[in-house]
Amino acid sequence: MSRRNERSTQPDPNGVAHWLILRAARRAPESLASRLEEEWLADLASRSSALSRLRFAVGCCWATLVIVSDYPRNRVPAASSAAAARGLITLADRKFGYFSLRSGTLFLVAGLHAALFYGLITTLSHTRSSATPPDLQNQVVKPVPPEKLPPPLLSGMTMLTVPKLVVEPPPMIHVDNDAPTQVPDTLPEPYTPPLPPQAQPHVVEQVAGGPGAGFPDTADFYPSQSIRAEEEGVSTVRVCVDPKGKLTSDPTTVRSSGSARLDEGALKLARAGSGHYRATTEDGQPVSSCYPLGIRFQLKK
Amino acid sequence: MGKKDTGVRMSLQTLRVLEVFLENPTEQLAGSDVHRRCGIASGTLYPILLRLESAGWFVSRWESIDPSSAGRPRRRLYRLTSTGLRRASEVFASFNRGVLA
Repeated sequence: MSRRNERSTQPDPNGVAHWLILRAARRAPESLASRLEEEWLADLASRSSALSRLRFAVGCCWATLVIVSDYPRNRVPAASSAAAARGLITLADRKFGYFSLRSGTLFLVAGLHAALFYGLITTLSHTRSSATPPDLQNQVVKPVPPEKLPPPLLSGMTMLTVPKLVVEPPPMIHVDNDAPTQVPDTLPEPYTPPLPPQAQPHVVEQVAGGPGAGFPDTADFYPSQSIRAEEEGVSTVRVCVDPKGKLTSDPTTVRSSGSARLDEGALKLARAGSGHYRATTEDGQPVSSCYPLGIRFQLKK
Repeated sequence: MGKKDTGVRMSLQTLRVLEVFLENPTEQLAGSDVHRRCGIASGTLYPILLRLESAGWFVSRWESIDPSSAGRPRRRLYRLTSTGLRRASEVFASFNRGVLA
């Protein structure tokens, strides 16, 4: 042995490389395990740097897999005298660690894919459900008894209420002209419950206008961001309508709901309703008029 | 060993290992020595050594030291057999003929 390695670096018994070699040798065929362990530990001692030792140990792990797969074909003299004394090394001596490692890796990869797929599905489903605004429904605004209307700007004010939206189950948007509690302070308490049919106006000189047939669905104008932010409020806009129910000027906000998004949604609703307003009537004749329109955005808890 | 050598796969790495041993056919080399001379990684080197030993081209023995006094495990030393020397020479000769032809 002319080129014998003179270094006697003893591998750290607690090192990763040492542990890997012990583990690799144990997975080798039984008749080779002790030999390979001693041989590899001796050769590991000739490696100086930690990286080199680690690479050597990892290579031994791979060598075990190859040796196990080669083993029935290449039977090597056993290191242990007991195994050698048997003479014949049968296939039963072979460890199937290679297959268990491969199968375990396969199951691990498949499991990781399944977990990732499940996570993506559940996350996307949750995101979609929370981002989709609930369906809204509208109800036709009923006329307000004229004697109960306030006389503010030109004629009475009609409250358009978009109440009670449900976020999780499809919410119901209720639109009527019930007087909300957040009506402008300028209105002299005109918002009383609708009178029974018997109390409907019988002598009317002026009937206030309001949303008429074909008025847009208010559900389309509830800002989605406001729904997610659970913003509620009453926005009062002033609309000027000609006898045909069309806007004669751009509606303006006369009382903010406290949310710019809700105010903008109310203005959009008022603009979109042009042509579908019910004009104010005087003695039964439609006339041009301007009146405040209260729009309530409210989420049902 | 008296084993057949028909199962030896002549890969490039196997040829490099044989070339190291053919430099001095009587020399006994451990796996670490072969790695140092030809640079083959342990994951490839040891299966090759075991295959060649199984085919009867190599014999191996433990290093004659006392592990307790030496403070390290014994090394496994490999050496070409007469069969291995003849077969390895034939392999390289065939390669040379192929190259020169």
